[in-house]
Amino acid sequence: MGFLTVLKKTKQKEKEMRLLMLYPLSNWYGEDINEISPTLGFNIKTLEHRGFKLNIWDVGGQKSLRSYWRNYFESTDGLIWVVDSADKRRLEDCARELHELLQEERLAGATLLVFANKQDIEGALTPEDIKNVSEKATKVKLNKQSKFQVLLNEVSN
Amino acid sequence: MEDESCDEGFTLSNSELENRFHQIIGSIEDILIGEDVEFSNLQLHFLEKYWMEFEDVDENKFIYMDIFQEYTQSIEALLENKLAACIPDFDMHQFISDLMSRKEELDGEVFEMLFTLTDFNEFKEMFLDYRARKEGRVQDLSQSIFITSFK
Repeated sequence: MGFLTVLKKTKQKEKEMRLLMLYPLSNWYGEDINEISPTLGFNIKTLEHRGFKLNIWDVGGQKSLRSYWRNYFESTDGLIWVVDSADKRRLEDCARELHELLQEERLAGATLLVFANKQDIEGALTPEDIKNVSEKATKVKLNKQSKFQVLLNEVSN
Repeated sequence: MEDESCDEGFTLSNSELENRFHQIIGSIEDILIGEDVEFSNLQLHFLEKYWMEFEDVDENKFIYMDIFQEYTQSIEALLENKLAACIPDFDMHQFISDLMSRKEELDGEVFEMLFTLTDFNEFKEMFLDYRARKEGRVQDLSQSIFITSFK
């Protein structure tokens, strides 16, 4: 870790959080996952919530670019793992991918939120299903509706 | 505890460390805003090489992050080399742990500057400003002053 990174971590304001949003396996069908289109990118949104400044880094919704995600791990306080609840077929792959991600040293200490997206779709997996599969693959205990989750639920509404 | 000279020795080495820390901070200040042009040359080099990549829209291209990483790493390398050259036995690891134990003191201008250098949004802003200047989109106020003779 470089010295600027250390300085940044040390000097980071207490009431400020950096959240990283990732969408596993959400590449469009039929497209080559390895092909990086130059039009894809990432967005940074800043929200104020309960006196906290949340910097939300939203990294690519179209493709799973794990090698690219690495660039964003540094200084991340919270990881938001957005699971497509309607995609039953790939739920286990998705959980395995999460397991690999959690091995990243630079994410150690970051809070994990598994976000069960697309609950409005009929026949979608319940948050409970997603929790169970994710816990089995990652060996991480997930709490349903932790404070952090409630906070973010409110933020995202 | 029972030996007072022990306390004195401790105080002395403590202030030595203190001096050393401030000496390093002073040197960083010189490198960033002193007469040495190497740092500003490095910035200019990046701006010249990549300004065309940056567009003034919310969505960021993935390449921005690659450029940002390259940029911060180059600055770190420059600082490290320069510090090694001007401070005998400079030890980056020692300096890093000193930094971490002095959270409350990290307030001066030089820290603001270092902090800015590691901020992605500031980095993007810098490129967008440079691009605007390159494309002549920044209003040149000197053109707006008209001098007419009073009759």
